[in-house]
Amino acid sequence: MTDDPDDRTLRLNAALDGELDPMSALELERELRADPALAAECRRLEALRLAIGRHAPREGAPKALVDRIAALTAPVAPPSIATFPPARRPAWSGVRALALAASFAVLGFAVGVGLTTLRMQGASQGVAENLVSDFASAAIAGQPFDVASSDRHTVKPWLAGRTTVSASIVDLASQGFPLAGGRVAVVDRIPAPTLVYRHGEHLVALTELPLDARGARAGGGIETIDGYHVARWSDANLSYVAVSDMDEKTLADFVAAFRQAQKPAEEGR
Amino acid sequence: MISEVGLRRFREIVPPLLDDAYTLAKWLSHSAVDAEDIVQDAALRALKALETTAVERPKPWFLTLVRNAAMTWMARNRPKNLSYAGDAADLDAIDARQGDDGAPDPERTLIALEDGERLRQAIADLPSPLLETLVMRDVNGLSYRDIAEATGAPIGTVMSRLARARGALAKTLKAEP
Repeated sequence: MTDDPDDRTLRLNAALDGELDPMSALELERELRADPALAAECRRLEALRLAIGRHAPREGAPKALVDRIAALTAPVAPPSIATFPPARRPAWSGVRALALAASFAVLGFAVGVGLTTLRMQGASQGVAENLVSDFASAAIAGQPFDVASSDRHTVKPWLAGRTTVSASIVDLASQGFPLAGGRVAVVDRIPAPTLVYRHGEHLVALTELPLDARGARAGGGIETIDGYHVARWSDANLSYVAVSDMDEKTLADFVAAFRQAQKPAEEGR
Repeated sequence: MISEVGLRRFREIVPPLLDDAYTLAKWLSHSAVDAEDIVQDAALRALKALETTAVERPKPWFLTLVRNAAMTWMARNRPKNLSYAGDAADLDAIDARQGDDGAPDPERTLIALEDGERLRQAIADLPSPLLETLVMRDVNGLSYRDIAEATGAPIGTVMSRLARARGALAKTLKAEP
C-alpha cells in the first residue's frame, strides 16, 4: 500500500464521520484554520459526501424481494395457489431453490398441522379431504402436476402407465380450461389419475376414481373444504372429484364443460 | 423447525432492514438480480440464527450477514471478480483511467455534477474492500466499529480504506469538466 492516507487525512475523515473524540476534533479544527490545503480537502470530502447522498442513495428493496422475505415466516391460512404460478416460473438458481425449499418447510409444517386436524373430523369426508390436502401441498410445493403437458395425448399414456384407472381426458382449452398436466393421487391405496386444468391463475385438479371408492360418490353440488371448492359426481364408469381454488361458479362451469366434452370422448374410448 | 420466538424476532428485525440490505448487496454484487438472491440468502441465515440468538444491534448484525452472503455468492458465481487485493495497483489503475487535468474548482464541479452516473461508476470501480467500507459507511451509515466487525478488519484499516476510497472518488470527479 504505497499511498496510505496520512494521519491528517484519516483524522479529517473521522471528524466528518463524527468518529473523532472531542479533543482531537478541536485540534483538527485548529489545523484546518492554519492550513488552506487541508481546508480544501475538507470541503472536497464534504462535497463528495453530498454527491454520494444525492447520486448513490439507499435504494428501496423491490416488492418481489420484500414479498419473498415476508413469505419466509408467513402463516398459512389457507394457502392460495394463485400466489405460486406453476410452470411459468423461471429457472430458479441454486440459492433461490434452497431458500424456497426452506420457506416451504415452514409452510409445510403449518399445513401439516391443519390437515391432521382435518382428518380427525371423521371418515365420511375422507376421500375429498385427502384430495384437498393433495391439492394444497402440490400448490405449496409449486408442483401441481408430475407431468406437465397441455397435450392429452402425452398425459394419458403417462397416467396409464401409473394407475389402474383408465383416465378420461378431454380438451377444454376452448372453454377456457387448458390442460396443464397430470399427476397420480393415491386414494385408499389406489393410485388414481388426476388431471390438472388451468383457468387464469387458478387450477383445478380432477381425480378420477373407480365407482366403489369410499365416499367418492357423494352426490352433486359444490362443497368447501379447508378453503377449497370441491365438486363430486359420477357417471356410468367412474367417480370424479374436482378440487380447485377457483370460485364456486367457475368450478361449476368447469364441471359442466368437462361432462359435456366427455360425451363424444366416451364413444371413442 | 422454526419456533414462534424465532419467527417473531425475524419479523421484527429483518423487514425494516431490507432497503439497507438490498442496497449493500447490489453494490457488492454489481447486480440488482443477484442482490435479491443474496438478501434472501442472508435472510435465511438470519432466520436460522434468530432461532437460538437474540440480537442487540440488528442493523450491523444483519448487514454483516448480507456482506458475508455477498462474498460467498461472488466466490461461487463470479470467481474471476474476486481477484481483488485492494492494494495500490487497483488505485493506480483508477488514477490512470481518470488522468489529472487539474480542474480549477473541484468543489463546484462536485456539487454541480448533473450526472450521478460518473460517480456511481467510480464507486462500482472501487476494489471490493474499499467499496464495502464506503457503502457501509456512507450509504448504510454504520459506525467504524460496526464496519470493523462486519468486515473482520481492525478499525485502523477501516479508517484507511475509507480515506482511500473517498480519495479515489474525489480524484475521479475532479478530473471531470
